[in-house]
Amino acid sequence: MATVVFYYGSTSEVAWLFLLAYWIMALVVAAYVYARWNWRGLAASFALAGTRPAPDSPLDALPEQLLRSGPIPAPIFEGDQADIDLQLTTRGSARGPARLSGLVGGVEVHAATGLVPNAGWKERRTVGPVTRGPILARAWVLECGDPLGFFKFKRKGADGEVGLVLPRFTSLSAQPRARELEASVSAPRAGSGTEVFGVREYRPGDPLRRIHWRSSARLGELVVREYEPPGVQTVGILCDPSPPTREVADQIARLAASEAWDCIREGGRVVLWAPGIEPSLPSEARSFWALLEWLARYPQAASDGAADLPPVSDAVGVTAGGSAELLEALETARQRGGTIRAWLVGDGALDVDCPVQRVGSAWPL
Amino acid sequence: MPRFLRLPASPVENSLEGRVFVFLGFAVATLAVVLYGQDYVVPAIGIAVAAIGHVVSYRGRARKRTAAGQVLIAGLVMGALAYFLADSVGAIFGGVLPQANFAILLVAVTSFDLKTRRNCYSSLWISLAILYLAAVFAWDYAFGILVALWALCLAGFWMSSHLRRMEARVVAPIRPLALTVAGALVLGLAAFIFIPQPTALSPTPLVVSLPNFTSFRGELENPALPLVQISGDPSGATGSIDLHFRGRLGDAPVMYVRTGAPAYWRGLVFDTYRDGAWTASNRSFVTFQPYVQPRFLPPAPPHNLGTFVQVFRVVRTLPGVISAAYPIQSLYAPVAALRRDVYGTFRTPDVLRAGQTYSVVSYLPNLSAQELAHDQVGPDVPEQNPEYLDSGTLSEQARRLALQAVAGQGDGEFERVMALTKYLQQNYAYSLQLGQVPPGRDPVDWFLFDAKIGYCEQFATAETLMLRSLGIPARLATGYSTGDYDPVLNQSIVREHDAHAWVEVWFPSHGWVPVDPSPGFSALPATQFPNRWAAAGIARLLPHLSIGAPIAALGSLGILAVLPTAVAIALVVVLLWAWIRTRRWGTVARAAPGETELLRLYDRMQRRLGRRRAPPETPLEYRNAARPGPIEEVLEDVTAAVNEGVYAGRWPEPQRVRDLAERLS
Repeated sequence: MATVVFYYGSTSEVAWLFLLAYWIMALVVAAYVYARWNWRGLAASFALAGTRPAPDSPLDALPEQLLRSGPIPAPIFEGDQADIDLQLTTRGSARGPARLSGLVGGVEVHAATGLVPNAGWKERRTVGPVTRGPILARAWVLECGDPLGFFKFKRKGADGEVGLVLPRFTSLSAQPRARELEASVSAPRAGSGTEVFGVREYRPGDPLRRIHWRSSARLGELVVREYEPPGVQTVGILCDPSPPTREVADQIARLAASEAWDCIREGGRVVLWAPGIEPSLPSEARSFWALLEWLARYPQAASDGAADLPPVSDAVGVTAGGSAELLEALETARQRGGTIRAWLVGDGALDVDCPVQRVGSAWPL
Repeated sequence: MPRFLRLPASPVENSLEGRVFVFLGFAVATLAVVLYGQDYVVPAIGIAVAAIGHVVSYRGRARKRTAAGQVLIAGLVMGALAYFLADSVGAIFGGVLPQANFAILLVAVTSFDLKTRRNCYSSLWISLAILYLAAVFAWDYAFGILVALWALCLAGFWMSSHLRRMEARVVAPIRPLALTVAGALVLGLAAFIFIPQPTALSPTPLVVSLPNFTSFRGELENPALPLVQISGDPSGATGSIDLHFRGRLGDAPVMYVRTGAPAYWRGLVFDTYRDGAWTASNRSFVTFQPYVQPRFLPPAPPHNLGTFVQVFRVVRTLPGVISAAYPIQSLYAPVAALRRDVYGTFRTPDVLRAGQTYSVVSYLPNLSAQELAHDQVGPDVPEQNPEYLDSGTLSEQARRLALQAVAGQGDGEFERVMALTKYLQQNYAYSLQLGQVPPGRDPVDWFLFDAKIGYCEQFATAETLMLRSLGIPARLATGYSTGDYDPVLNQSIVREHDAHAWVEVWFPSHGWVPVDPSPGFSALPATQFPNRWAAAGIARLLPHLSIGAPIAALGSLGILAVLPTAVAIALVVVLLWAWIRTRRWGTVARAAPGETELLRLYDRMQRRLGRRRAPPETPLEYRNAARPGPIEEVLEDVTAAVNEGVYAGRWPEPQRVRDLAERLS
C-alpha cells in the first residue's frame, strides 16, 4: 500500500502522498518494534481459581474444619468443574495485545486481551467435568504482537500442573449423620495418648499444660497440642500396582479413598501402599488430603523409593486381580496379627483367604 | 470464474469499532474535499448517507445478500456514474471535482453493503482516493493533519479488526501505543524530509476533470493578459499588447500550481512590434485532442535534463491560454480541443473558469550559463520568420545604447545578451506606478531616455528590440512569474501581480531561452533542476542553514542519493536496536517502607560495635560473634528484623525501625 501511494506521489507531484507513504511505512516499522517489546515483557501462567462441585460431589459432605486445611483454593474431585485463570503479567508497564491458548485438562482454552495492565490480567475459563489426576496445562502458546496485527511472535510454555483432581469417596460403613461426622474428625483428643499429631485452637476444658505457647504467641490466640488416643490402629490400604484400565484404576482409587476416610474418621491412621510404588508418608498417615493426593496420582510410576509394606495393624487390599506382591503383602499383614480383607474390582479372580467384596467400575457403588 | 482467479473468502467484519474507523476515514477524506475543493453539497449528502449505510450494514452483516439488494446498489452506483459523467462533461453541477464527488457517492452507496473485512478495506481505499484528489488541491501544511487523521483511522481499523479477530476487547495500552504512534509519525515525517522524493520515469499529466464540449469558434485569437487592459470580446481576446496602457494588478491568487520545479509560466508570445504594440505575425495553428501526447509535439530539446509535472488549478477566470513551463512534453486540459500556435502556446476554446484544472509535463533543458556560453550566433533566422530580427521601429539613439551596453563583450552571443540584460537591470528602475506615455512618443525611447523607470513590458520590449538591433533573434514572452513558491510542498501560488513579460532569445543550439531584464528578477530565469528533497526545501527557507548545500549536492546524485541515505537509516536502526537491547526496561523495584531505614540502622549498629559484618557472614553469625554489651538486646531484635526482611521479604514498618533506633541511642 505504501508503495502504491509512493508511486502516485512520484507521478503526481503531490508531496503529501510521499508523507502518507512514509507514515504508513513508519507505522509498519513502529509496529514491529512494538510487537517485539510487547513480546519480551509478557509472561503467561495458568492457575486453578476455584471449583464448581458436581451435585454428587463429596465436597458437600466434608466438615468445615477439614475443608479449611484442604488444598487451596478448594479441593476438586472427579466430576467437578474447575475454574482456571489464564493469567498474563507484564514487566514495567502496561502492554498488549496478547492471546493465550493451550490445552488445560485436555480441553482447548484460549483468551485474548488488547490490554495487559500493570497489575496483570486474567480471564477465567471453566473446564470439566474433570477426571482424576493432575490437571495439566499443555501445549500452551502465548501470542504477542502489535495492535495492528502486522507482526506476531509466539512463545511456547512448558507443560505444567494446574491442579490435582482427587478421587471421589464415600463412607463404606453406615452413613453417619453430619453432626457425628463433624465430631469424629474434630473431637478433642488433647490429654489422651502420647503421640502428638497436630495442634488446634484452644477450647474450653482443654488442660492448660497442653497449650503450645510458641504457636499461641505467633498466632495471637491459644493453641493446644493434639495427641493421638491410645491404641490407634494403622490400616494399610494395598492398591493394585497395575490396574488394567483407567476406569479400574479410578475405582480402586475411590475404594481406597473411602477406606481411608472411614479409618481416619474412626481416629485411625492410614498407609497407602502399592508394590513397586513409594508409599504414602508415615507423617501424613492422618492427613486425609495427603492421602487423597497420593490416590489422585495413583497408579504412579515405579520409583526408587518403593519399600516393603510398613508395619500396619490391619490391611485392606484393593485390586483388579492377582498381583502376587499384593497378595504376599496381605499375607504378611495377616502373619503380623492383623486382620485383612479385600476389594476386587471387575471380573478378575483373587486367590486369598480373607473376606473379598467384588464391585464393578460404577460409582457410587 | 476459474478457481485461481477467485479471491479467497473474506470473513464478516464484526468489529463495530473498526467500522466506525472506516466511516471516520471517509469523513476525513470528505472533509478534505470540502476544505480544499470548496465542494459542499455532495460531501454533505455523502456523509449522511454513509452514516445510515454503515448502521444498516452492521446490523445486517450476518444476513446473506439478496439479489434485489444487489440490483438496487448496482443501480445506485450507475446513478452516481451518470452524475459523474453529466457533471464532468456538461459541468451541469459546476464541474468541480467530479471524480471526488463520484467517489464520495460510491462510498455512500456501497456503505449499505459492507459485510466483510474486504468490503471495509475497499471503502477505506476509496476514501484514500478521495483524499488523493483533495491533495491535488491542497496548498498548505494543514493538509498534513488530515493525512495524519486518515492514517490514524486506517491504523484504528487495523487495530479494531485485529483485536476482534483475536476475540479480545478493543482496548490498548494508551501510553505505549501513543508513543508508538508518535514515533511512527515522527519517523515518517523525518523520512519525508530527509529522503529525496523521486519522480517516476515517465510522468504523465493528471486527469482531474473530463473534457467539456465547448468548441472553438472562428480563428485563433490572442487572449489578453491580465496586465494589459482588456478589450474585445468577453473571453478577453485581443489582438495586441499595447504599451501605452496597463491594467491594475492586485494580490488575489489567479491559480495554484503544483510543480516539481519552480518556473516561469509562459503564455502568449509576440514577435511583431509596431507603434508601441506587440502582435503575433503568424496566426496559424494545429488542433489537438485534449490529451496531447509527446509523439505529437516536438522532441526533447538538446541537453534535456528530464521532465516534471505541473498541475494548474485556476482560481479566477483567465483567458483561454495554457500557462505552463516550456517546452511542453505533453498536456491534458479538460476541454473539447486544444490549439497550438506556431510559438508553441496552447489555447483553449473558451476562458479558463475558476475551479478548472489542467496538467502539463514539461521538459527541463539545461540552460545554465556555462552551457549557453558555448553557443554562437547563427546565420539563420529561426522558423524563417524575419520579425525576430526586425528592430525597425527602434530609434538610432537606442541602437547606439545597445552597442554601448555590449561594448567589450566579444562576439559570444550569451555574453552580449547578458551584458545588455545586466545593463538594463542596473541602470533602470522597476516600478508599477508609471505615468502615461506622452502622446506621439515611442514608449521604448520614452522608457530608455526619459522616464528611466518602467515595468516588465517596457524592460522586455526594450531588450527585445535592442537585441534584434544587435542581430540576435528575440521575441516577447508573457505569462506569470513563478509566484509564491513553497519548496517543501512543491507548489506555487500565482497572484495577479505575478503577471509578467520577459524576453526569449534564440540560441542556435538550445532554442528559445528566457532572459529577464526586469530588475529584481533573475537575468537567466531558466527552470532550475528540481530538488526533490523536502529538507533541501527547508534549507532554502532558512538561508543560514548550512545543511542546504551538502543536501543539494546529495540530491544532484539522482537515484544514487538513496545509498547514503539508506546507509544512514540502517545505521540509525542498528544503533536504536542496540540501545533497545541493552536498555533495562521496566521500573526499578522500589525499596519497601522501612527497608532503607532498617539497613541504615543495621549499618550504624555495626559501626557502634566496631566491626563490620564480613561478606560471607550471616546476620545470625554476626550476632553470635558480637561481644556481649549494652546493645545486645537491640542487636538481637535488629538481627531478627533484618533476617525477616531479607529472607522473608517482610520489612518492618518505619515506626518500628524508629523505635529500635531510639533503643540503640
